[in-house]
Amino acid sequence: MDDKGRKIAEEDYKIKSDLREKETSYYVEKMKETGLKGLERFVAYCPNPSDYMKNGLTYAHMDLEIIAEAMADNKPWAVVSGLNPSSPLHLGHLAIFKELLWMQENGADIFIPLTNDESYVVGKSKSLAESRKKAYEDIIPSIIAMGFSPEKTKIFVDSDYLDIYNVAMDVSNKLTLNKSLRIFGIDPYSEDENPGVMFYRSAVQVAQILLPQYEEFGGPKPTIIPVGIDQHPYISLARDVAERKGFIPPAEIVTKFLWGFDGKGKMSSSREGSAIFLTDPVESVEKIIKTAYTGGSPYADYQREHGGVPEICPIWSARTYHFQKDNIIGKKCSSGEILCGQCKKEAIEEIKDFLSEHQSKLPEARKRIDDFILKTPIRSILR
Amino acid sequence: MKLETLLSQKGLVLQSPSVDDIRDRANSLNSSNEPIKLFYGETYDNYGHTIDSMKHYFFVSLLSKSIKKEGYKTNPIIVVADVAACRNVSKSLNDEYIKLGEERAGFVQKVNGIYNLELNIIKMSDYLFTREFQDKLEKIVSICKENPLLMEKIEKTVPESKIEIERKKGFAYSFDEIGTIIDLDVKVGPPREDLYDDVTKDIAKIQGKKELMSLFLTPTFPLGKNWAYFFAHDRIEEHGITAYKAGSKQLQDNRIIIGKTTLDEAEKLIEKSFISKKNYLPNPCLDIYLISEMAKINLENENSENNIEFNNIYDDFYYGNLSEKQLKNLVLESLNNYILGKF
Repeated sequence: MDDKGRKIAEEDYKIKSDLREKETSYYVEKMKETGLKGLERFVAYCPNPSDYMKNGLTYAHMDLEIIAEAMADNKPWAVVSGLNPSSPLHLGHLAIFKELLWMQENGADIFIPLTNDESYVVGKSKSLAESRKKAYEDIIPSIIAMGFSPEKTKIFVDSDYLDIYNVAMDVSNKLTLNKSLRIFGIDPYSEDENPGVMFYRSAVQVAQILLPQYEEFGGPKPTIIPVGIDQHPYISLARDVAERKGFIPPAEIVTKFLWGFDGKGKMSSSREGSAIFLTDPVESVEKIIKTAYTGGSPYADYQREHGGVPEICPIWSARTYHFQKDNIIGKKCSSGEILCGQCKKEAIEEIKDFLSEHQSKLPEARKRIDDFILKTPIRSILR
Repeated sequence: MKLETLLSQKGLVLQSPSVDDIRDRANSLNSSNEPIKLFYGETYDNYGHTIDSMKHYFFVSLLSKSIKKEGYKTNPIIVVADVAACRNVSKSLNDEYIKLGEERAGFVQKVNGIYNLELNIIKMSDYLFTREFQDKLEKIVSICKENPLLMEKIEKTVPESKIEIERKKGFAYSFDEIGTIIDLDVKVGPPREDLYDDVTKDIAKIQGKKELMSLFLTPTFPLGKNWAYFFAHDRIEEHGITAYKAGSKQLQDNRIIIGKTTLDEAEKLIEKSFISKKNYLPNPCLDIYLISEMAKINLENENSENNIEFNNIYDDFYYGNLSEKQLKNLVLESLNNYILGKF
């Protein structure tokens, strides 16, 4: 490596290190801002914390204490984790669903609203029908294939579970338009907004979160909502409504974002090259990974000497969070023991193996969709 | 038991002065034919006498015996802080609490007799109102009032919720405590007492007195509670619950109260207790075992073989093959043989 190369490598390393600092302080600042607590004590005390809790991808909470008590005392508790069905599930979603599986294994009833109404009103799908189709054809089979139990999993597509709109009406009179507009940053006079967005974001979303506490599902119970840190305000709104309705304010558990393979931010289905979808052809993995952004140096010599910056590397995060039990790759990367080429090669194999196995389960999962669909009518609010 | 062995007891001693510091102090006092004063003081409530108080009585006794074995004079003191206990309750309960103080002193005396502890038991009311103590107190209060930093530290000894009440009372509770401990050599207590010890050391320095040495035993934790209870109580690892008040945090049903808790009840509590192989988390079961084993050592007058077992239990559990179930069985056996069976 000549002097010019060294200078380029040094600058690149600094940019990546700064990015790592920025990311770390982002999560720390957000925790302070929102009053969330770290998960360290839960990981220490819980006899079997999830892998994501142990490796730090799931990192903060509010009121997890009420969930811990329910877990330890074998009392009923629930989880609500909604999803916008505008595209198939990708590796970024995997963390949430693996976390849900852990919760189910620890006694939770899982509610998964697939919000095709949201996809439509925010313009992510051309019609209600389009996102509805995606939900049944792609997303629900993928969820089932992950190993959820039908007895403790309730999936619903909003536009097919019309009772959710009655529940939304039921919670509406505990909300104020003013507060909702503020929380969601909606300008009611904007030509770009529509009333559906407003109704979905405040009333329907709160209805989904509080649904497990309605009489039909056994009444008030501890409930937890896995979210990204930017969704904290939504939970605050639901907590307010819960208190006014005599429900238990829902707890919250926060998972960090996974880096997109394009290195341009969190993994997202709307950026090409950012995500690997669970229904992608296995052969396509190689192309995405080979061209993926990494935390390594453009110069192998420099990387051998100084190591890489794994914390901002999408390859590292996908491998460490999903496929490895500990942070061996991170240590090897930081020390320069492993270079990006080798790491990518191993990642390709791990992701391909995972996709092959996952996709082999889809045909059987498709046959079982009906076992998971929530059909319980909500009549208690109509009496 | 050797002083080194006692002070390095893992799971029992949290923070201790060095063996050399204790020897140096004992040595300097020896030259003037004075004993080294070892101390533990406690208040109480109306739920009874806890096994966790006994932990401190046993420890002070073993500490005293270890120092004596080296040829030094000791004065192991247990103070039953009846006046302080009365300050914590409403005036209408004053008579009841004075009576409870008599009962607590009687209990310590009984433990002293059963286990040959050789402790000197004193009630706070026996010395607090003497001219000598009041003069000492007056000097301490005057030093503090002239020094804003010391007053700040005095305020810190009081929980925030009680600060206004205590301010009105002139921080009498805190000053009584400081007056009680300022002339001691080694003060044994739970780690939550560090704030008292800290300001006392500052005052002693100003007065040109010898410095109090703090020896903290591990905090007390409730029995019969699962992992979620401990997770839900922030910083419980550091502070625990009050050792000498059975009703601390309304957890009287999760304590071993001497004369009240039956062996069956103790067994159920131990069976349901949180236990973890992580040595930085609370281990109320190990704590009961260590208390029972101290009882045994005192009863058997320091049989050296027992000391070895006492010393190894921590390593056996955290680093060895002793399982949670095995530890719980050992706890119950030892508790029955050396404590519950003696009352």
